[in-house]
Amino acid sequence: MLEIKNLHATIGGKEILKGIDLTVRPGEIHALMGQNGAGKSTLSNVLVGHPAYTVTEGTVTFHGKDLLAMSPDERAHEGLFLSFQQPVEIPGVSMVNFMRAALNAKRKYQGLEPLDAAAFLKLMRERRKIVELDNKLTSRSVNEGFSGGEKKRNEIFQMAMLEPTMCILDETDSGLDVDALRIVAEGFNKLRTPETAAIVITHYQRLLDYLKPDVVHVLIDGRIVKTGGPELALEIEQKGFGDLKD
Amino acid sequence: MKGTDQYIELWRAERARIDACAPAALNARREAAAAAFERMGFPSRKVERYKYTDVAAAFAPNYGLQLATAPAAPLTEAAAARYGTLADVETDAVTALNTMLVQDVLVIHVAAGERKEHPVQITNTLRATAPLMQNRRLLILAEAGAHVQVILSDRAAADQDFLTTQVTEVFVEPGAHVELYDIEDTAERCHRFHQVFAEVAAGGHLTHTTFTLAGGLSRNQTDVRLKGKGAEAVLLGCAITNGTQHVDNNTLIDHCAPGGVSRELYKYVVDQQSTGAFAGKVLVREGAVQTDSVERNANLVCTEQARMWTQPMLEIYADDVKCSHGSTVGQLNDEALFYMRQRGISEVEARTLLKQAFASEVLNEIPLEALQQRLHVQVEKRFRSCEDCKLCAK
Repeated sequence: MLEIKNLHATIGGKEILKGIDLTVRPGEIHALMGQNGAGKSTLSNVLVGHPAYTVTEGTVTFHGKDLLAMSPDERAHEGLFLSFQQPVEIPGVSMVNFMRAALNAKRKYQGLEPLDAAAFLKLMRERRKIVELDNKLTSRSVNEGFSGGEKKRNEIFQMAMLEPTMCILDETDSGLDVDALRIVAEGFNKLRTPETAAIVITHYQRLLDYLKPDVVHVLIDGRIVKTGGPELALEIEQKGFGDLKD
Repeated sequence: MKGTDQYIELWRAERARIDACAPAALNARREAAAAAFERMGFPSRKVERYKYTDVAAAFAPNYGLQLATAPAAPLTEAAAARYGTLADVETDAVTALNTMLVQDVLVIHVAAGERKEHPVQITNTLRATAPLMQNRRLLILAEAGAHVQVILSDRAAADQDFLTTQVTEVFVEPGAHVELYDIEDTAERCHRFHQVFAEVAAGGHLTHTTFTLAGGLSRNQTDVRLKGKGAEAVLLGCAITNGTQHVDNNTLIDHCAPGGVSRELYKYVVDQQSTGAFAGKVLVREGAVQTDSVERNANLVCTEQARMWTQPMLEIYADDVKCSHGSTVGQLNDEALFYMRQRGISEVEARTLLKQAFASEVLNEIPLEALQQRLHVQVEKRFRSCEDCKLCAK
């Protein structure tokens, strides 16, 4: 469903991605590991169309369509979702208005009528439970005054509302305590279907213990240098990236 | 083209007709006002308080002056005794011009201890077939312990050149509470100058809000004197501008007595080629100890062409005070915009939501809840084009 070929990208003129090839099929979970600065977050930002990055070479197709030709909101409508490493606080925009605008924009794209207020609030209530997100949080402004763990739970809650087919989790485990990590990971697992896939960016095995990736990639200096099964993540946990650098 | 001289000539020519239909209290102040106006002339940009607005240009077109044909009722003793005592014709030319030409005054007089259950709403609808100038006057007198809310709305019902001068005097006597809401929602060809002069006695409270939703040139000058111990003033303002609109808010909060409290928050969303200006001075006089004052002006400038001038000022001549002032000028948060777009919200919609969020901080401070809700809707309408607005259908 997602096919990345020879992807090169720069930010501020500096090349960060130097030829990425990656294919993700429905139902698969791919883990992306690598040291800071290797290009993991750049890859996720490029995929969702962050305007700070420039693609200089390569192609990305998503469900057979040219992903790079789409605006960020079109990519979202097509089913791409990024769980941000640092979710943004938006004072003055309520979670309800934010979610309703997002969901109804997607429905419009799909040719569906907007959800009425009652149906929308009912859906909010149901989906909140998946990540045990408090009612008080969803009545506030987007991410405003949320703790680190609440922000990550809120990302998964938004995922539950929008039902994307392809999720990118960018260090969703960072800053989470053991209980929050379990809630977030179990929430994510509840949303999985044979049609959905994910790319999981992480430094640690503990998130992968829950998510059980099918494929593990190691990214060094803008290239994927090694691809393997779940055992590769365990190997890195024990030995670090040192042996893979050559 | 009309300059200072032509307005003086106009007054001399029409003086008998103006006086014939105006209350004596108004006529009594005309001579001094005309002399002051003739002496000062329209303020140039070298006059500190008018440096952001070209006043002479706004008064230059040939506006017709509609004179009353029936005599106005005389003022009550209380109103006559106060009329023109706050509005300073000697230092402000626009106030002098208004005082020279105005024919009637709307008086809201609330007796001691009386509490008006419902707000008093005054709606001015501009309608004319030729360019028109109007000079308006409002006097609010809240006696000791009285409580009143006044809503002033300006609307335009004709695509015509209008020029309005309004002078408002507000007397907040000991322990009284006055809320004055000024909502300007007119059109590109409407120019308005509103001078507010308020005085708050011991333990009194004044909330004054200025919302400029639409208009051509809007200039609001608000002077509040906190003259009694523990007097309070809250000034709120929100300006949403686009096209070639110009909004200039100029405020002075004068702390004259101990324990005064003032809060000031003005926010602007300046779009397209429009311009905004805010200049706010907080003066803490000698003896006004334990003054507590916060002044803030925050602005969103949406395009390269839009301009915003901001000038918060603080002058303190007393010890033991708590005062802060500050201003910001910025653009929409790019990371917030991108976050919203990643969730599927279009760029236009994301920008609208962020602008509304910015303005809502001021709206949420409005104590009159029904008005707050109505303004939330009006502000949303203002930000949306007709095509993507579903508010009228609701």
